[in-house]
Amino acid sequence: MSTTAAPAAASRQGRGGAAASAWFWRYLAKRVAQGIAVILIVTLIVFALMHLALPDGPGSGVLGMQATDVQIAAFNHEHGFDLPVWQQYVNFLGQIATGDFGTSFEAKRPVLDLLAQRLPKTLLLAVLAMAVALLVSIPLGVAQAVRRNKPFDTVMTAINFVLYSTPSFFLGLILVIVFTQWMHLLPATAPQGQTVAAVLAKPQGLVLPVLTGAIPIIATFSRYMRSSTLENLGEDYVRTARSKGTPVNRVVVKHVFRNSLTPIIAMLGYYLPVMFGGMIVVESLFNYPGMGLLFWTSAQKSDYPVLMGCMLIIAIATVIGSLVADLIQAALDPRTRGALK
Amino acid sequence: MSTPTTPALLTLDDLQVTFRTDGGPVRAVKGMSLDLRAGEVLALVGESGSGKSVTSLAIMGLLPATATLEGSISLGGEEIVGRSEREMNSIRGAKVGMIFQEPMTALNPTMRIGDQIAEAILNHEELPKAEAHERAVALLRRVGIPEPEAKAKGFPHEMSGGQRQRVVIAIALACKPELIIADEPTTALDVTVQAEILDLIRSLAEESGTAFLLVTHNMGVVADVAHRVAVMFRGDLVEVGTTEQVLTQPAHDYTRRLLAAVPRLPVAGEHTPSGIAEGSAGATPALSVSGAKLSYRVKGATIHALDDVSLTVAPGEIVGLVGESGSGKSTLGRAALGLIPVDEGRVQVLGTQMTGRWRNERAERKVRSRVGVIFQDPGSSIDPRITVGQAILEPMQVQPQLAPKSRADRVARVRELLEAVELPGEYADRYPHELSGGQRQRVGLARAVALEPELLVADEPTSALDVSVQATVLRLLGELQERIGFACLFISHDLAVVHQMSDRVAVMRRGKIVELGPVDQVLISPQEEYSQRLLAAVPVPDPAVQALRRAARWEGKHGDAA
Amino acid sequence: MNRTLPTPRLPEAGATASAPAQAPRSNAPWRRGARRFLRNKLAVAGLSVLVLLVLFCFVGPLVYQTDQTHTDLGSALLKPGEQGHPLGTDDVGYDILGRLMVGGQVSIMVGLAAGVLATVVGTLWGATAGYVGGWVDSVMMRIVDAGIAIPATFLLLILSAMVKPTVPLLILVIGLVSWLVPARLVRAESISLKQRDYVVALRAMGGGHGRAVLKHIVPNSVGTIVVNATFQVADAILLVAYISFLGMGVQKPSTDWGAMLTSGITYTYAGAWWLILPAGLCIVLIVCAFNAIGDGLRDFFDVKGQGE
Repeated sequence: MSTTAAPAAASRQGRGGAAASAWFWRYLAKRVAQGIAVILIVTLIVFALMHLALPDGPGSGVLGMQATDVQIAAFNHEHGFDLPVWQQYVNFLGQIATGDFGTSFEAKRPVLDLLAQRLPKTLLLAVLAMAVALLVSIPLGVAQAVRRNKPFDTVMTAINFVLYSTPSFFLGLILVIVFTQWMHLLPATAPQGQTVAAVLAKPQGLVLPVLTGAIPIIATFSRYMRSSTLENLGEDYVRTARSKGTPVNRVVVKHVFRNSLTPIIAMLGYYLPVMFGGMIVVESLFNYPGMGLLFWTSAQKSDYPVLMGCMLIIAIATVIGSLVADLIQAALDPRTRGALK
Repeated sequence: MSTPTTPALLTLDDLQVTFRTDGGPVRAVKGMSLDLRAGEVLALVGESGSGKSVTSLAIMGLLPATATLEGSISLGGEEIVGRSEREMNSIRGAKVGMIFQEPMTALNPTMRIGDQIAEAILNHEELPKAEAHERAVALLRRVGIPEPEAKAKGFPHEMSGGQRQRVVIAIALACKPELIIADEPTTALDVTVQAEILDLIRSLAEESGTAFLLVTHNMGVVADVAHRVAVMFRGDLVEVGTTEQVLTQPAHDYTRRLLAAVPRLPVAGEHTPSGIAEGSAGATPALSVSGAKLSYRVKGATIHALDDVSLTVAPGEIVGLVGESGSGKSTLGRAALGLIPVDEGRVQVLGTQMTGRWRNERAERKVRSRVGVIFQDPGSSIDPRITVGQAILEPMQVQPQLAPKSRADRVARVRELLEAVELPGEYADRYPHELSGGQRQRVGLARAVALEPELLVADEPTSALDVSVQATVLRLLGELQERIGFACLFISHDLAVVHQMSDRVAVMRRGKIVELGPVDQVLISPQEEYSQRLLAAVPVPDPAVQALRRAARWEGKHGDAA
Repeated sequence: MNRTLPTPRLPEAGATASAPAQAPRSNAPWRRGARRFLRNKLAVAGLSVLVLLVLFCFVGPLVYQTDQTHTDLGSALLKPGEQGHPLGTDDVGYDILGRLMVGGQVSIMVGLAAGVLATVVGTLWGATAGYVGGWVDSVMMRIVDAGIAIPATFLLLILSAMVKPTVPLLILVIGLVSWLVPARLVRAESISLKQRDYVVALRAMGGGHGRAVLKHIVPNSVGTIVVNATFQVADAILLVAYISFLGMGVQKPSTDWGAMLTSGITYTYAGAWWLILPAGLCIVLIVCAFNAIGDGLRDFFDVKGQGE
């Protein structure tokens, strides 16, 4: 239990640049240490799941149906899967550290190879969906906040409400019925290509998957942006700006917008896993050859090394993503930016 | 009422403001007529709910959409009620500027200081950006900001509260308005900073002929700067007159009661020091702090909240603790309760050492049955989910060995306690949200004395209250103290309140006690330079006396250099 | 002590106006809350929809009896209205209207139970971390961070791949991936509550940690917890649908709305809209209903309200 009196007084006095910069590096070191701790816990969860699924080691999966028990035992012994559990975990950590995520039971290829092939395509879809979502939801949220409780706001809130409550595959299905079956405008399946370039060659096939991915994010983020803007509109500095004779719309653009956006940016990092989770649904609905589809097919075939690899990659991406989002937020906020220079 | 020679700059004629609320319309301002002449400083005083802030926002056209306005506001002869938003924007900032109460939040945290001032200029004048920035720097210099060029490029968080308030004043001044409305401009500031801001406002009024409408609840501030005073009470204007008239010969009954409730510091020479109340020597002190040290690390800087503090409170003695924000007085209050363990030194309550460690928990909880506590914020002093009666019952449940055994006796005791703080017994069934702030603080007082404590720690118990309400709470606290005879650590930033309540007083600054002694000695003729400065900065609600004090302070500040 | 206290008795400005003399007992927080909830039209609509859907799923089968265990390929893919099937039949001949009822039972039960499980686990976890603080808090919250870093759908798929899901298993699995958000919320709440003056005052008068938590912190965080629980139920119902869509849901002949919707996808191109639309709308309706109720409960629990 600490009182707030002293810290408040401290920030009131302002700080010297040197102290602030030392403080910033300590903060960064702490955040990195936390990130490493989180990744370690994730590896522990992944390892525990793997061990639960395959208590006798992955030998049978790697060698296939025809392998004899002796062969499997020999494989498990050779790769150390008969060692005590804690030793297996240490080995597992060592492997991950060297970039070895194991071998797929199905494809008989290193998991990392599969990921290298599939991840860029999922990233393409995710980045496009996120870009569309942000371009729509941020202005929408601001506009709703400015016209709070007017018909425009009420209608948009209701639409967001319904979209947020709709499973994305149902939404995608409706989009397919409308745009493919009725209007014959867009294809119902995503472009099938090995590389990102091949996928980009048929951009019209990306429209429905991107929309399906983007709409739930729009519903979520426009809500956040609306409340963040509303909160800032109630701040004292808005009243000060208005007392200078600044029109309300200009107050929103020049003062409120930037201050409302920063918490949204900080949230993006934590939103990564939700995005990737959503991508499984989108990819399997449109048969898009990304990591989500890989994960889905691997789950149906119990291809555990691939499943674990996907989970680890996303967890690491999330930890790094939220760290980067925090740093961006710090860079946008002059209260912490001084220390970054 | 206004002298015909100078035309009125601002005229309010039968101004009425009504708010739409769930409970029906609420009339906040009920027909108010007032003149303000060019170059005049008019103070608008009143307690919370009097309508003074609503009036100032009405003039700016910044009332929320739930408000309806009737009557007339004319500025320089032009009617501004009913103007369009666009027309109001050309008035706001250009003809009327505004200064707000809370300097810590009044500025945009992510915009450079210079830009925030330049915005005010560019809103009303066509000129190159560079020129607007030059003027912004000049304005910063004008309001007394050191290194204005550098500060203009900086951000609000790099400045202290007093400096930020100067920036807000610079914004209000930017287009040389004829009128500046200042809504409680010094309420959130420490007294020494308040004195500097008031000096600035006075010099602006004198040098540039800007008129000020100064909204305040502080009679000392009124005496310091205002030419005339208008007193508001529940939406009505009850009295207008010169500062001299209103503060020394109030005509209206409400004004008289209001002034009587203001705690005053006696002036040296006019006051016969009372005999120093000695605590019973030899007895175990109610509270004994020796060599206490406590520090925090905040964003890389170490803050010494307590720096070698020693203090003793004898049984039955009231010791005041004064200091400005960040002086460590609240930290000392919590350390005295054992709620924050000190890094070094010793804290003993009624002879038991408080460590705040789990190992010592049982002994500390036992001694706490003999301690009561009241905090500052009436909003969070009582759990909003339980009734007033349950709140007062709580100490008896926590320490059943000291409470009546039967339920009926306890309920009777709750009633007795409510009556002791002059609340009807039926209030036991009410919820905190049904009570006013002052009533909640009285419930807090009833809870604190429920077990007839031997030590009471009161941390700014009245600073969130209006003066009249404060007077009631202080009187009740005094009466209960006489009856129960508890020792008390009374923490406050208000020197007059501390003087009124305490036997001895400790002045804190930056975690250290700089002066400790009987109240009459420390608060009337202080020895330490800091105590003297603190005392000199407190404005007293008497214009003649305050003028002398101001002159003396001015001499003290600038005399050495001359 | 010879000090004189000034004793003017002044009316407390503003006090009398807000507290009428004969305030009836009906001013208890829950009653005021109920008034606010009822004023929220969206919430009232949500509550009505929920009641109707629950009646439809759990009472409906008593009135409208259909065979939902044996397939009947002879009457597969009948259009709505044909052969006495008001909403038609699916690809193996189940009556759609009857199937909506049994499917809804699974969706609602799993959603409710998983939402409640997630809330209970998250509340205990978050309250402990927040109240104890220090390194205990750090460790507990890093575990939450790690859980959040793994997409819920990924975990659900892996767990479903390991064990064939039944209703109790689904509840357990969804509950175990959804407790992280309530844990964070409750932690933040308990950190803020333990610093309130009334909790500090309790500690100062010698009250123990148990009383602080049970009498003050828990009752004052009930609002946050219950409101979030409603949103958790809505999300859990969506998750049930996602699992079924990904082919890892409850096994036939049992079903849920998500599974019905999924099995209809292949036939939509043939124009069999009745296979997806009713189930899809049911999901949207019930999730909307829970979200709306959560919105209303937020009004209900807002103790401070507009009274000031």
